[in-house]
Amino acid sequence: MPIIEEFENSIPLMNPWVNNWKNEGKKVLGYFCSYIPEEIFHSADILPVRMRARECADTPMGDAYMTPTTCSFTRCCLELVNRKQYKFLDGIISCNSCDQIRRLYDNIRYKAPFPYHYIMGVPGNVSDTTIDWFKHEITKLIQHIEQNFSVSITDEKLNKSIKVYNKSRTLLKDLYMLRKQNNPPITGTDVMNILTAGTSMPRDQFNELLESQLTQIAQENNSIDYKSRIMIIGSMLDEPEFIEIIENLGGLVVTDSLCLGTRYFWDLVDETLDPIDGLAKRYLSKISCPRMTDGHQKREQFMMDMIKDFNVDGVILERMKFCALWWPEIFLLRNKLKETGIPSLELEREYILSGAGAMKTRVQTFIEVLESR
Amino acid sequence: MDIEKFNEYKKLTRGNWGKDLSMLKMMTVGLLNQYKEDELTPIMEMMLNYLLDVPKARKEGRKFIMHPFNYGPEIFYAMDLTPLMQETYSVGLAPLRLNEPYLDLTNKIGYGDNPTVCNAQRPLIGSYMQGVAPIPDLLFFLSTPCNSLAMTYQVFEQLANIPTFNIDIPYWTYDKVGEFNDDQVIDYMITQTKELISWLEQQTDQKLNLEKLQETMVKVNQARQYILEFNELLKTVPCPVNSQGAFGNFISMVGCGGTDAAVKSTKYLRDIAATNVKNKIAGVPDEKIRIAWPYTHIFFDGELLTWLEETFQAVVIMDLLGFYQVLPHDVSTTEKCFESLAKGALDFSMIGTCRGPIEYYIDFLLNYVKDYKIDCVIMPMQFACKHAYSMARVSSEAVREETDVPVYIFGCDPYDSREVTSESIRGGISDFITQVVL
Repeated sequence: MPIIEEFENSIPLMNPWVNNWKNEGKKVLGYFCSYIPEEIFHSADILPVRMRARECADTPMGDAYMTPTTCSFTRCCLELVNRKQYKFLDGIISCNSCDQIRRLYDNIRYKAPFPYHYIMGVPGNVSDTTIDWFKHEITKLIQHIEQNFSVSITDEKLNKSIKVYNKSRTLLKDLYMLRKQNNPPITGTDVMNILTAGTSMPRDQFNELLESQLTQIAQENNSIDYKSRIMIIGSMLDEPEFIEIIENLGGLVVTDSLCLGTRYFWDLVDETLDPIDGLAKRYLSKISCPRMTDGHQKREQFMMDMIKDFNVDGVILERMKFCALWWPEIFLLRNKLKETGIPSLELEREYILSGAGAMKTRVQTFIEVLESR
Repeated sequence: MDIEKFNEYKKLTRGNWGKDLSMLKMMTVGLLNQYKEDELTPIMEMMLNYLLDVPKARKEGRKFIMHPFNYGPEIFYAMDLTPLMQETYSVGLAPLRLNEPYLDLTNKIGYGDNPTVCNAQRPLIGSYMQGVAPIPDLLFFLSTPCNSLAMTYQVFEQLANIPTFNIDIPYWTYDKVGEFNDDQVIDYMITQTKELISWLEQQTDQKLNLEKLQETMVKVNQARQYILEFNELLKTVPCPVNSQGAFGNFISMVGCGGTDAAVKSTKYLRDIAATNVKNKIAGVPDEKIRIAWPYTHIFFDGELLTWLEETFQAVVIMDLLGFYQVLPHDVSTTEKCFESLAKGALDFSMIGTCRGPIEYYIDFLLNYVKDYKIDCVIMPMQFACKHAYSMARVSSEAVREETDVPVYIFGCDPYDSREVTSESIRGGISDFITQVVL
């Protein structure tokens, strides 16, 4: 079986990897948002899986409790939690990453509780004071995990896990570097499959698989035809089909700033630091999402660097309907792109792809505009 | 209002305030004309002076700082800064439907829509694009109660290039025993408060005078004491003030906390309540229904509460903002002052109830319903207010389970009369009261 198919098969939250893990009698925790340090769970031999809800078709419970004007990602998650589709999880970990995720956690606790819940308070800006506070939050999380799962999370174990995750990050960066080429050997759709699978399978196996994938890419020496090179920016997107629509129209997605994309893996943990110091600094200072109230300039600079480094022709700014973080952020990014003469397309979407026809028309026009430049 | 006093104020509104303060001028003149025929109460006087202080500060070369509706201004006053609560605009302009052109403009330039980004802040971006948003010397905001607020302040900072400071408000609490307690929360807030002061010192090129801070905090305490007494008096049946009464306390503290004007205003409200309790006078004659309103007022409909009073003899005891319940500062030592400032920031209206887990809000609501002998709860939830709207259902279930008091939740936009109209809101409330409450 081609390696990419192995990744594809690992995308559902309950997949053969998770099943095997459970069969070994080990714990699995669902978590929300890239601000939660996965290394902590890895060091406790607990499998962290990123909460997603791709199987959701409708949201009556989500609409009633989260209300119809919250984002469809949180409504879908509440829906599937309520339908016991995550019953294999031993608990969930959340954080106050945004108002909707914060309240999703409350609604889950009240309406469809798991055996274990915990929420981290993640500071909203970066300074020595807030990094210290985040260290305190990480320490509390570690203690909570230790007490509730009868495990011991030592510095030594954390350092090992940091190395494993840093390896992942480095491999993913290697994968992205291939996309800088004039004729990249991999599509954005396949990259999205790899990234998404990585959030729902054991990290060590993910690294092995990713290494094999990189070797295979090097051996095959493929190149992808395209009309334009696209960067995609936005929030929680775990739907390769979304990228596929763009790529089928000739827009090759070569880089991104997405929750599951570069913002998830771009920055490494400093392995020379005390592990908790290293985790706090990395997770709080990483390329941020707009929840970080002092991070816009850095995010804008990251976008401009990516555009230059990956030779991007145009940017697709995707935002989930009702997201109070990304609409304002995209407003600023769009202004910057306009100012610098870089074409952009803004796409409003629901968590589960809908209106593909309309999206195709808009993307097709955008790619034609890019081609005509 | 005394004609001499009116003319005195009229004179102060004259002159060129600058294009960015033109809306503020319009609001001030409008308010003055509205008050012309009324007795000049301490609250009216406070409001007029508050608005007039902004152009005055600019004329005198004092800096003015813009801040959100959930932080008390005592530090700013202690540093001779002129504070301006940004939401003064959206709240002040809503009844006149004057937010709406700016909301339309904001829609047009692609900065959010009504159900996504809160309209308490969103008109700021539209009005900025028109050159009529106030351009403060300094900008300050908090990470909570919502993303929407923090984003619009951040966008404004970027567009207008204003020196900005923001404080991270922690999720946890210092005063509750149990899973949400964190005994380091206060130290975290103290450190950030000191960083705010250092930043203000750098920006204003002056040191904070600790004695002056203490004096300002003493004035805050006097006002807070009056408010606590007022809140206690409102437990009386019938309620001694009408449905608008408590909001004056919020305005006093968020606009002028730490000034003599706020002390005078809060005392004025406390005295009215005390006298009415003593004389058994009801704020709403023949009071029949006591309503808890645990969200903001519908600002575009200034007559809604009067309609409730007249139609159903119903009194809204307090709204979420007006239910100000911050305890007086401990000013015995400098360190105690900082500790109190930290607690004050965490307990401020809406921050205390909405910054963390849903339990903070549910506890508030259950105490409200029980302590104030509430007959029904009306929750007018703003579509864009994700953190509040998505806890309404669970909170209402908690109220019904624990108190058997009926709850009505409806979606609306308190700043835009076109989203859900007055007629529709009144129809829904009317059905609820007649079919469920009575």
